[in-house]
Amino acid sequence: MLFNLVRKDFILIKKYWVVLIITAIGGPIFVTASVKLGSAGFLGFFIAALYNEHFLFATVSVAEEKYKGSALLCATPYTRKALVKAKYISILVIFICTYIVYTFTAFVVPMGIEQLNIFTFGLSLLIITIFWGFIIPAQYQFGYEKTKYISVFIIFISIAVVPNILKWLNSKDISLQISIPQVIQNLVPYFLALLIGFISMSISIHIYSKKDL
Amino acid sequence: MNNILEVNGLKKDFGDFCLDNVSFSLQEGCITGFIGINGAGKTTTIKSILGLVLKDAGSIKLFGKEIDKNEREMKNHIGVVLDEGYFYEEMTMSEMKGIIAASYSNWDEVVFKKYINRFKLKLKQKISTLSKGMRMKYSIALALSHHADLLIMDEPTSGLDPLVRNELMDILLEFMREKGKSVFFSTHITSDLDKVADVLLLIDNGKIVFNEEKDMLLDTHGLVKGDKTLINEQTRKLFLTLHETEYSFEGVTNKKSAVRAQMMGVVIERPTIEDIMLTYIGGNEDVV
Amino acid sequence: MVCMMCIKHINSCKQREGVSMKIIIANVSDQPLYQQIKEQIKDAIFRNELKEGEILPSIRALANDLRVSVLTTRRVYDELQLEGFIITKAGKGSFVASENLELLQESKRHMVEVKLSDVWKTARTLKISKSELYSMMDLLFEEEDEE
Repeated sequence: MLFNLVRKDFILIKKYWVVLIITAIGGPIFVTASVKLGSAGFLGFFIAALYNEHFLFATVSVAEEKYKGSALLCATPYTRKALVKAKYISILVIFICTYIVYTFTAFVVPMGIEQLNIFTFGLSLLIITIFWGFIIPAQYQFGYEKTKYISVFIIFISIAVVPNILKWLNSKDISLQISIPQVIQNLVPYFLALLIGFISMSISIHIYSKKDL
Repeated sequence: MNNILEVNGLKKDFGDFCLDNVSFSLQEGCITGFIGINGAGKTTTIKSILGLVLKDAGSIKLFGKEIDKNEREMKNHIGVVLDEGYFYEEMTMSEMKGIIAASYSNWDEVVFKKYINRFKLKLKQKISTLSKGMRMKYSIALALSHHADLLIMDEPTSGLDPLVRNELMDILLEFMREKGKSVFFSTHITSDLDKVADVLLLIDNGKIVFNEEKDMLLDTHGLVKGDKTLINEQTRKLFLTLHETEYSFEGVTNKKSAVRAQMMGVVIERPTIEDIMLTYIGGNEDVV
Repeated sequence: MVCMMCIKHINSCKQREGVSMKIIIANVSDQPLYQQIKEQIKDAIFRNELKEGEILPSIRALANDLRVSVLTTRRVYDELQLEGFIITKAGKGSFVASENLELLQESKRHMVEVKLSDVWKTARTLKISKSELYSMMDLLFEEEDEE
């Protein structure tokens, strides 16, 4: 069930696959080349992933708003819950695909693009989850037209803010290693991401189940 | 006869329009025509049945079970054709079908292909390139390819030429040949219902006006025409609607024998569904 | 005095299984639709156009042909069955009854009686005498013999 709903989103963006791949390749390359920061790889991936996800989300949202396809889908045995879950999963799939392309790029391109370790992967997952965890329910509540500006705004802000967060985390690195074992530390972002994602999904489901289509 | 669908006390408030205590049943094995002028509440009622619009109050049961509580199971029994399709226009018919078909547990690809061939549709075509008639046929193909028992359609014939409309009515009659099938469709083109409707459900301003066998309605009402001089205080009471010109009158009555007895030389004809509808909706200046 | 005759002539010729029924529905009759159809099927049975044991169109098929509601044709078949003219076998269809010939005979007589009664009433209203009536009847029989 969910598989086909996720597939639906990807059919809607199938014209733009090339764009997504170029971003996943070009983003890290561009960032690594222009920013001389230790964690440039992480930043490059993060930006590429966020951009790609936003692209999918915006394209699908415009189509949904225009054609109201979800109304017909809700008249079928697809439940509203499934439609909401599928949206989150689509974003996650883009995230993973971007990661795969990124890893491949970092491996192949001789620019010294940093690969992500478990912690940085989890961290980007967490930040992405916080972002979408806020935007998706907001969009269900207020509609695409009102929220689209917010998401673009946040993207630009986060591109400015995230490097600073990184610097802060880098400085905190040593002290954290003393108090908590590395394994747990690595798992914390995943756990938080899961929690936030789950809460956001529940809120979205609740909002959407009260909507008139 | 069983009732395949039971709607009880349906209420929905949109501010400037509301569904007011809508209650009706659909008989199994019948085609029920849902009539009313634009804005009367047909689409809202249908969307409420399908769960697209959330009701403020009331219960909707299919085969005796609340649709709300058994959504997935119930919707497998319902075939849906919505006005304007609600398709993703940029997708091909094939892609859209893939998504829709996956939700139904009884999807029958063979039946679907048969309809597609019959309608001469090419599945690789983008939905945006389809004419209105082809789009409706595609909708029907989707709706009838999962062994649905109840076909619900919202204004399926609006904007279609008479030839296509006739084709659609034939398809409905074919669908009904199998036992246990029912059709519920809304329209304001009452001539379509002349051919296929068994029962008529009239809604006006959010309220159900009547839910009657079509033939019974047409049997008991008469369209009367005659000389204006025949209209007096007594005879006026016999009419539900009356339109007088300088020399003649035309009106609808449900007291045909009384009219025949009291008014000499009038012509009493069998009314059309449209005549009946106009008689019973509000805002009709001719209502007596 | 009486209305224009807009007769809706619907020719229901079901070639399927050799059943051929011509049913005419008068648009201006006061008789309910189901009654008209019922009477005409009865007539067809009396005139032996529908033979004993012959299969009738399904409720749905008849409804489609006559452009009437299935509820109407169902009522027709239900009443015809109650009155003993047809038999419906679940899953097989409806057939002209081959039993109760007496019942049929009685009904036939009754039908003629009803029509004669109508004729008599009209004649009385128009002040036509008994002997005139008999002459008219004789004429009818003579014409039939000539045919």
